[in-house]
Amino acid sequence: MASVRSGQQPGAGPAPAGIARAREDSGRRVGRPGQGPGRRARRGTVLFIVAGILISVVFVVPLLWEMFRSLQPESTVTQAPSAATFGHLTFANYRTLLSGQDDILRNVVNSLIVAVLTAVLTAAVSTLAGYGFGLFRFRGSGLIFGLVLLAFMIPFQAVLTPLFLEMHFLHLLNSLIGLALFYTTFNLPVGVYVMRNSFLQVPREIVDAARVDGASVTRTLLSVLRPLVLPGIATSALYAFLFSWTEFLGALSFMTNDSLFTLPVALSNAETGTYGAVNYGLLLAGAVIAMIPCVVVFMALQRYYVRGLISGALKG
Amino acid sequence: MAATESSGRAAAGGRAGAGRLRQRGAADRRDARAGLALTAPSLLLVGIFALFPLGFGVYISLTNWPLVGPYHFIGLSNYQGLIHNSVFLQSIVFTLKYTGIVTIPIFVVGYSLAVFVRSNRKGSTLFRTLIFLPYIVGLVAESFMAVVELQPTSGTANFVLSKLHLMSDTTAWTVHTGLATTAICILVIWFASGLTMMLLMAGMQGIPADLYESARVDGASWWSAERRITLPLLRRSIALSLIISVVGSFLAFNQFFIITDGGPGTSTESVVMSIFQTAFADTDVGLASAMSVVLVIVVGLITFIQFHYLQGDGD
Repeated sequence: MASVRSGQQPGAGPAPAGIARAREDSGRRVGRPGQGPGRRARRGTVLFIVAGILISVVFVVPLLWEMFRSLQPESTVTQAPSAATFGHLTFANYRTLLSGQDDILRNVVNSLIVAVLTAVLTAAVSTLAGYGFGLFRFRGSGLIFGLVLLAFMIPFQAVLTPLFLEMHFLHLLNSLIGLALFYTTFNLPVGVYVMRNSFLQVPREIVDAARVDGASVTRTLLSVLRPLVLPGIATSALYAFLFSWTEFLGALSFMTNDSLFTLPVALSNAETGTYGAVNYGLLLAGAVIAMIPCVVVFMALQRYYVRGLISGALKG
Repeated sequence: MAATESSGRAAAGGRAGAGRLRQRGAADRRDARAGLALTAPSLLLVGIFALFPLGFGVYISLTNWPLVGPYHFIGLSNYQGLIHNSVFLQSIVFTLKYTGIVTIPIFVVGYSLAVFVRSNRKGSTLFRTLIFLPYIVGLVAESFMAVVELQPTSGTANFVLSKLHLMSDTTAWTVHTGLATTAICILVIWFASGLTMMLLMAGMQGIPADLYESARVDGASWWSAERRITLPLLRRSIALSLIISVVGSFLAFNQFFIITDGGPGTSTESVVMSIFQTAFADTDVGLASAMSVVLVIVVGLITFIQFHYLQGDGD
């Protein structure tokens, strides 16, 4: 707002034209005499910010609204909205969810264990594979790389049935480790791809120098290359964590013991009323709990997320 | 440190002769062993949890495998049965329709948003993040929220729409095929546009700015610059974002399972849901595997066609 006003001041003569034109947007045309070119740019910025806020509202307000609704008691959530009760907020839903007999704390912990395990495994296996594909020449390298990327073409939804039987034979059903191994596999194509690119970007001289110094393969990775590929490791771990935390179908299929359910599966059970009547207040609070780690982790590490998108987009 | 390393390397490079060749041979063997050892874990996991089940699925699809008990080979009977399986056929038609409905809006909204946030203006990074949040949070949590807000009388959707005199506040969204599909499509467009935006934006930022500069000098309008520079150079990103969006829609499960449970009847049952029900509710693993094989083929075809169509010609 303030910048529009100052832009409208008559003093803005043609003097700053050169500067304003150098800025990205106002360079298109020199303003008519008497109209400061800077004014155009400033108005553009204000319009951009106003439009940006309006658009962001569409995408964020529904989420904030549900956070607000999750603080209403069950009775308010399931009644016709009335001004009298609408503003009464309480943590009752959260208290019930996180303590007491039907608590989902255990499911939150299960989800966390699986997500962290998936992130660590994906990062570790992808790093090793990326190191191998990126910096070592060996027969079969292309074939193995192709096979790993092939998992990208196989939708996990389509192998769920045979995988269920296979995991039954391997005693990996109803196992948090089994679920994490499954998630890791379907995060590997992205992880391996990102890590291979990370290692390919390491200047050849550094690798050669380490070799000439007699550093072993392991030592080169741990002390010379690790800092250089750390962003890639963060990217693969982040993708794997978010995938695992929000995944539903696999967890629903492979977990039948309710003490091992992940959070989404536990909520789905609550929704279909396995534990008696459906409680929409609890459902909202549970959904908000499911949202929070995603938002926190993404906000903290989003530049690594965008890096992954860019390297993925280049793949196309 | 860097200086000593590079001088050491220069010294090593200078030593020429037969000994060096022999050393190279040993180094190559060491490389080969290390390479195999390093990549083996990834191959092992993909082999066990992706490639083997794919083959195993084809095998099971040729049997009458029940979840428990003995099985027999029945040839292609499962596949022949699929042709007459009205629930499965209906789920394919429904999923194709759903994919058809959401794809264009996701692309158009995502593209517009990408144009909006691609500049490095003040605030664009924040807007990007905020618009992307629905995707990051995940459709599962959002579907649970939708269940609550689509309730007749108490849900926010009806409250807002009845205040705007667009809908009665007793509309039962989730038990009516058309309404439920509409609500889910809106939810998904809202959820997925941010991903298309990010993918396209990443592509747009890779286009050299001086191309636009010279177009501007030539007097090209914004629209013609967009058409002649952005669209052709963005073909790969467009192909990728469309493939991800279309395949994602075709594999939809969460939102239908959570919001409508496939109902009313099986009218909003997606393909993946239909497979899930056949395998785990009807325990007909053979039939479910045949369905899965069809799914893999369809998804493969979609990917292949889009890939070819969007980036085949020219290079």
